[in-house]
This record gives sequence, structure tokens and C-alpha cells, in this order.
Amino acid sequence: MSVVEVDGVWKVFGDKAADAIAAIRNEGLGKAEVLDRFGAIIGVKNASFTVEEGEIFCLMGLSGSGKSTLVRHINRLIEPTTGTIRILGEDIGAMTPEVLRALRAEKIGMVFQNMALLPHRSVRDNIGFALELRGKDAYHRAQLADHALETVSLHGYGDRLPSELSGGMQQRVGLARALAADPEILLMDEPFSALDPLIRRNLQDEFLGLSQNLRKTTVFITHDLDEAIRMGDRIGIMNDGEIVQIGTAEDIVTAPADDYVADFVAGISRLKLVSASKIMVAVEKHVARHGPIDDARDYPAARPEDDLDTLVELSTGTELPVLIRHDGNTVGIVTKDTLLHGLQGTEAP
Amino acid sequence: MSTTAAMSGAEPREVESRDVSVTVFADRNAAYYGSVFERLQKGELPFWHMNVAGLLIPWVWSAWRGVWLIFWISLALDMVGLVCLMQNFKYGPLLADAHLDPSANAILIERYTRWLSVYNNVGIATLILGRLLIGLQANRWYFKQYSKWRIAVRTAHGVQARRVVIAALILALVAPITLYRSTQQRIDERACFNQVRAIDGTRRLQSRYGVTEVSDLTSALADRRDRLVTERATLEASASLTDDQKGRLGEIRREERQLRREIDAVEDYKAVSAKDRFDCLFIDDFPTLARIDPPADVTYRRVPDEEAIAQGRRGATKVITQVKDPVEGRTVNIFTYTAESIDIGINFLRAQYAGIFDAMTNVLRQSLIRVEVAFMLTPWPVLVGLAMILAWAYCGTGTVVFVGASLTFLAVFELWQIAMQTMALVVVATAICIFVGLPVGIWMAKNRVANWITEPILDVMQTIPSLSYLVPAVAFFGISQPPAVLATVVFAIPPMVKLTALGIRQVPQSTKEAALAFGASERQLLTKVELPMAVPSIMAGLNQTIMLALSMATISAFIGAEGLGAIVTAALGDAQAGKGLLAGIAIALVAMVIDRILKGIRSSLSRI
Repeated sequence: MSVVEVDGVWKVFGDKAADAIAAIRNEGLGKAEVLDRFGAIIGVKNASFTVEEGEIFCLMGLSGSGKSTLVRHINRLIEPTTGTIRILGEDIGAMTPEVLRALRAEKIGMVFQNMALLPHRSVRDNIGFALELRGKDAYHRAQLADHALETVSLHGYGDRLPSELSGGMQQRVGLARALAADPEILLMDEPFSALDPLIRRNLQDEFLGLSQNLRKTTVFITHDLDEAIRMGDRIGIMNDGEIVQIGTAEDIVTAPADDYVADFVAGISRLKLVSASKIMVAVEKHVARHGPIDDARDYPAARPEDDLDTLVELSTGTELPVLIRHDGNTVGIVTKDTLLHGLQGTEAP
Repeated sequence: MSTTAAMSGAEPREVESRDVSVTVFADRNAAYYGSVFERLQKGELPFWHMNVAGLLIPWVWSAWRGVWLIFWISLALDMVGLVCLMQNFKYGPLLADAHLDPSANAILIERYTRWLSVYNNVGIATLILGRLLIGLQANRWYFKQYSKWRIAVRTAHGVQARRVVIAALILALVAPITLYRSTQQRIDERACFNQVRAIDGTRRLQSRYGVTEVSDLTSALADRRDRLVTERATLEASASLTDDQKGRLGEIRREERQLRREIDAVEDYKAVSAKDRFDCLFIDDFPTLARIDPPADVTYRRVPDEEAIAQGRRGATKVITQVKDPVEGRTVNIFTYTAESIDIGINFLRAQYAGIFDAMTNVLRQSLIRVEVAFMLTPWPVLVGLAMILAWAYCGTGTVVFVGASLTFLAVFELWQIAMQTMALVVVATAICIFVGLPVGIWMAKNRVANWITEPILDVMQTIPSLSYLVPAVAFFGISQPPAVLATVVFAIPPMVKLTALGIRQVPQSTKEAALAFGASERQLLTKVELPMAVPSIMAGLNQTIMLALSMATISAFIGAEGLGAIVTAALGDAQAGKGLLAGIAIALVAMVIDRILKGIRSSLSRI
């Protein structure tokens, strides 16, 4: 069972939303035409995806692509126009307000781009906010909050006011607040976008480390493809409210679904992304072109899942091509030519 | 790679050449305006550069080209000039009259001649200089419009005959009547009123005598008068009169007087010329001379209900209605009609719901007395100490000194107890403001309809002169402290409501969203997020409310509020400047002490 299931979700803003959706489905209207004919704005267009337990799913898109709107459907801060969302198998559209509030407080933690901390409360009271809303007593609240503070390495800052902390520290508090109630799901809405690059990188690393321990199911929103590739087990790319491609970073970089995605991934370094299996040449083809492999010589060898970085390391300092071996068999060969083409993302001749 | 290319913005933008746009903008005569605009931009246009059309026919030129600013300015300048020249028609005949007897009217002749020469000079100067100004500025203003048009394409441009027609209509509406007015003497204030009365009276007579023509009416009236005169002459001629005949004689005399008034009215009516009616309708005061029958003069009184008391219900009362006969022939204007209706309505409410008003008065009075006792019976060292400690805890040393000095002032001038009375009134009024204002403010912030209803009411409460609602307050609650408290609440509550609403609305959407995302209910959102974050704003509102309540102390003293305000009011009545000033300073000092201490508390709150 997937933890988060989003199925055919549409969000159209405007009075004639239903008509607009029908028209888009039947006539394939574009954004401008819909605005013209129905006065409606498309927020999310037929989005479907699932997130498995412990997985980090990145939603990536430029501003205005509907990613923030989509993530707010997961805890029903925004009601979908049509479509269903299931959390841990339960349809949240059918929940009563009371049950929904319990779900938000206990099962879903959310981190916001602008932190959105309460300025009149201490850091500890901010972190304990969800617990307080559920009526947890002050003693346990403080204990859980301090524990969460330790998790984000802000031990001892509990009695400060948010305004006394730097941006990076504030976002750690935001993360601690999301973690305090020990929810199963984390929604991260561009959490690191407002921070400067160095701190962003720090926090990314720390969050990766954290999530390896905590194994929270995470939906991570970002407009930065590098961040998406670093953070995401899988990535969904959004454009104009539509999810245009879902896949691992390697899938997206090696096989972009359309020109839009191709444009995006064009500048991405493939060193750490692409594995040997994607570029290796079949042994027969290699033999036909370069002659047989001389078993006497000491060929460098790699596994199919090794990345290009490893292959570069192996092929420097030797004339020989790299053998890609799997279960003791040679399944492919990577010459320097193949490697260079692979780095560039072009087909070998 | 299309995205990156578009983002780089390197490709050159298509820019229309300037001449083309001037051609589109100016339409006719584009070559001339093209060169003028070019020279203007280069700074080569000499200051005497003149648009001849602007000089000679500015109204037509500006309307045709849609430069409405020039149209209105030239219209205004020309009208001022012409109105000055028109004075010749007003004072010319007067001067001619005066010249009939120069020796007796020497002063008048001198005065009219001087006025006329001033008017003529100013009029001619305004016309000439005004036209010169328009002619010199026309092209520069036109260029400004061109610049505006390049940014906002909907700005008026090109030439349109339709605009000239509109301008002609405006001229036809404005010019003739204004110029005509300037040739006329000021109309006598009563003239128009008398005119309406004569017209009304004649109409009534026409219907009474059943005639349509005024000449018929005159002869009918004359006939009747003749008959009365003859009858009277006969009676007066006889030597002795019976009682009946004496009575008849008196009757005839009354009738004759009545008839004379009627004949006068008809004569007045005949004297009304078309010019007079036009003058009264269009060039004098706004013609609201409608007269209607006044509302029935009803008085509502609550009296003991004997029947119910007889049946054993002690103290039962009922409302009785007394209707007075209307005054014969009295008609009133709409203002008076409405005012009297309101009086009757207040009278009715007061009688009908006496219990409610008395209960409210009682609650207010009791709470006032409690607070007043608390303030006046608390030993002064306690209150002084409290104020000083608050000032010391929340504000700087300067404030402590100021508070000490102010309180000493009150003590030395023996105003302490009286100031405490004022404080009691302010405290009760402020408490009501908080208990009413806070919920209303929250409601206003949350609900658009509530905002739509409350906003104008608050504006009225803030701007309506306090004296005008003191009267109804007295009508409902009598002259005493309670209506003073209510009047103070009306005056002081708007900032409380408005700043509460503002504070809640200012809570960032993202913060509210975060609270909701962590499972807050609407109530929790309000109590844990919105209200705490609105506290600084609410405190500012509270501060203002207290200040306004103090400033009402004097006005509410008119209807029986005790305290410092009462001294000021009394001093006003007795023309005792010193007394009034000292009491006024005391009010100001009390206000400043409260303000400083509250500000200190506020800033220490906002540090949290």
C-alpha cells in the first residue's frame, strides 16, 4: 500500500471549473483559451502519483507550475476540483473536519518556504504547536519539542524567539516543528529555497542524513533540478499544472519525456547520475569493430550500476576499455569514446 | 534550447520609429506635431512658441484633440474674464439710474464707476493672458498627453468630431446660465419662497372657486368683495343692530380680511413673471421648496395601568397615545417633516421600551458607582504608588518624573477626587468598548458582509458631531452619568474595532496556513495565532480609545457627566478662563500619563 496516492486530481480556480475541465478533456484547450472562455485558471491538471513508504518524492517545476498547489492537496489545505487523494489508504476527501484535523496534526508534518513560524511564541512552543492543538500537556510537549530540537541539532535554542535566529536556524525549527508529532508523512514546500547556497547545501545533507534514520515518507517541492536530483528517490516534473514526467533522476536525464524536460536536464552533470548500463556497448558490437578482447591483459572492470564518475576513474591511466561485468560475465564494454559521448549525453556512433 | 534563448533576452526588440507613432497619435497635421515634439524633446523649442489654434479657438482645438485639461482650463479662464465683463450689464443700469440725480448719488456714482473699471480691467486681462497661457502651453501639454498615450494606449488620441460635440454640450450647459447669472442682482431671500406661496395659494383658490383662468378668479373674488362691502355698508348704516346682526358684522369683517389676503396672493401670482420663475428655479438656491403636511403630532406616555393594578398586578403601566389637532394650514419642508418624525419615533421608543432603557441606565449607573467608589476610596498614596511603579517598570526615568509631576499637579490644585470621577467614567466606557469592540472587530475581520455593514457605521460614529447624539441620548436615558458613558462609548469605540480588525487581517496568510496545516480549528486559529499576533494592534486601539474617551469628558459633561469636564463646562458658562484652562490641563495630563504608561507596556509586549 502506498502512503500517499494522488489519483486524477484537477484544480481549476473559477466559477465554471467543471465546464472548463470538460472542455480541456474533450477539446484539449490551452491555458489562455480556458481563461478566455471560462474565466478559469488551471492550477493542477490531471495529476496522479504515488509515494511509497520511506521514499522521498520530489515535485519539481518552475514558479507557477502548480507544484505548491498540488502539495497542498495532500493535506487538503486546498480542495481538489475533482480527483481523489488517499493517505495511508484513506480517502481524505471524505473525512469530516474533525478527522482531517487529527490527520494533519498526527500524520502529516509540513515545512514552508517562508518558515511561517509564530513570532510571538518561543522556539519550543512553536515546535510543540501541533501537539498543543491536540491537547497534549505542557510537560510532554516540552520533552518532545526538545527531542525534535536535538534532531535538527539546535539543542538549547528552545527558549529563543524565532526572530533571534538566522534564516537557516529558523528553517531547522520549521523542520523540527514538522517532526515533533512524529508524523508518517513530511510535506516540504521549497524548504531550502530562501536560504543562501552554502546553508542550503548543509541543510540538504542534514535532511538526507535524517531521513535515512527516520525513513519518513516525504513529498519535497523544489524549483531547483539539482536539489531535486540530490534529494529525490523519484522526481516528478511539472509544467503548467501538469506532471509531464515521473522517474528516477537517471531516467529523467537519460530519457526526457519531452522538449521541456530535455531543456531542463540539458545543463545537469551526468557524472553521478548515469550508470554504466546506460552507455555500455554490447560485447559483439565492440568485437566487430575493435577486434577480440585479449583475456591476457588486465582490463579495468566495473559493475553495470556504477556511475560515469567511477568509469572515468577506471579509464584514466590505461589504454584499455572498461569491462562491465555482472555475475562474473562481461555484459558490455565502455571505451573512452563511449564514455565521452555518455558524459555529453549524445549517442555513440 | 528555446527556453534559454528567450531568457537571455539578447534578441533586439522591435521598436516602432517615432514618426509613425506621432502620426497615429496626432492624426491630422501630424507633420507639424512631429517636428514640434522633436524640437521639444531636444530642448530647442523657444518659450514663445505658440499654438495658434490654442490661442484663438482653445475650446474647439482641445476638444477635437481630446486634451480635456486644456479644455477645462481655457473654459474656466474665459468664463472668469467674461463674467467680469458682464458686470457692465449689472452695474450699467444702476449707474445710469444714479446719474439721473448726480448730486444726491455722488457716493454711488463714484463706487459703481470704480467697480466697473476694476471689473473691466480684470476681465480683459484674464481673457488676454489666459489665451496667451493656453497658446504657449498647448503643445507642451499635448506632448505630455502623447507621452502618456505611449504608455497607456487608451489615452485620448487622434481627432474626433464627437468630442467637439461633447464640448459644445458642456459649453451650452455652463456658459449661458453662468453669464446670465452674473448680470443679475442677488435675488431677495424671501422672494422665491413668496413666489411659491403665491402660486400654491392661487392654485388652491382656483380649485375652490372652480375656475381655471386667473382672470375669472380675480373677477370672482372682486364680486364677492363687492357683495361683502355692500352688506357691511347696509349693516353699518342701520341705527341699531340686533345681536345676530352684530355677529354677522364681525363675520363679514373677518371674511373681508381673509378675502384681502386672497386677492393679494392672486395679485402676487399675477406679478410673477416668467423671468422671476426662471431665476428662482435655476440661478438661486437649489429649488427644494416642496411643502408637505407635517406628521401627526402624537405624544406617547407611559402611565399607571389602573385596570391591571385593580386586577392585582402591582406597578403595571401602559402606553397611552395623545394626538393633538394639526395646526390649520401648516405645511413644512422635508427637513422639518423628517426631524419631527424622528422626534415622534424617539418618543415612542422611549415610552414603549421604558423598562429596557431604565434597566440599562441602572446597570450603567451601578457599575459607574462601583468603579467611582473604588477610585475615590482607594487612598491616594496607593494609586500614586501604583502609577509610579508601572511607569518605572515599563517606561524610562523620564516618564516616572513626568507621572510624578502630573499627579502632583492634580494634588496641588485639589483636582484629585474630581480627576478620579473622570477616571471612573473613562474606565467604564473603555471596558464597554473592549467588550463590544473586540468581538465586533474580530467579526469584521472574518466576514466580508460584516465589514461592509460595520465600516460606514464606524465612520459615521467617528465623524458625527457628538452634540447631535447627546440629545437622543438624553431623550432615552435622561440627564445623568449613564448617557454620558454611552455617548463616550459611541465616540471612543471605532479605533478599538478598526484596529482589532486590522491586526487580525495583518496576520500573514502563510502563518495561518501553517497553523491549519498542523491541524488548527477555526477557533484555535483565532485564539492561538490571530489574536496573539494582533495584540500590538489591539493595544494601539485600546490606547486610542482611552484617549478619545478622555477627550469626550468635556462634551459629556453637558449631559451630566461629573469630573474635570464638568469644571470646564461650568467655566465656559461663567466665562472663567482660568478655571477652564486649569481643568483642561488636568484632563490633558491624565490622558498623557495613561498614554505613556500604556505605550511602555505595549513596547514591552512587542519585544516578546
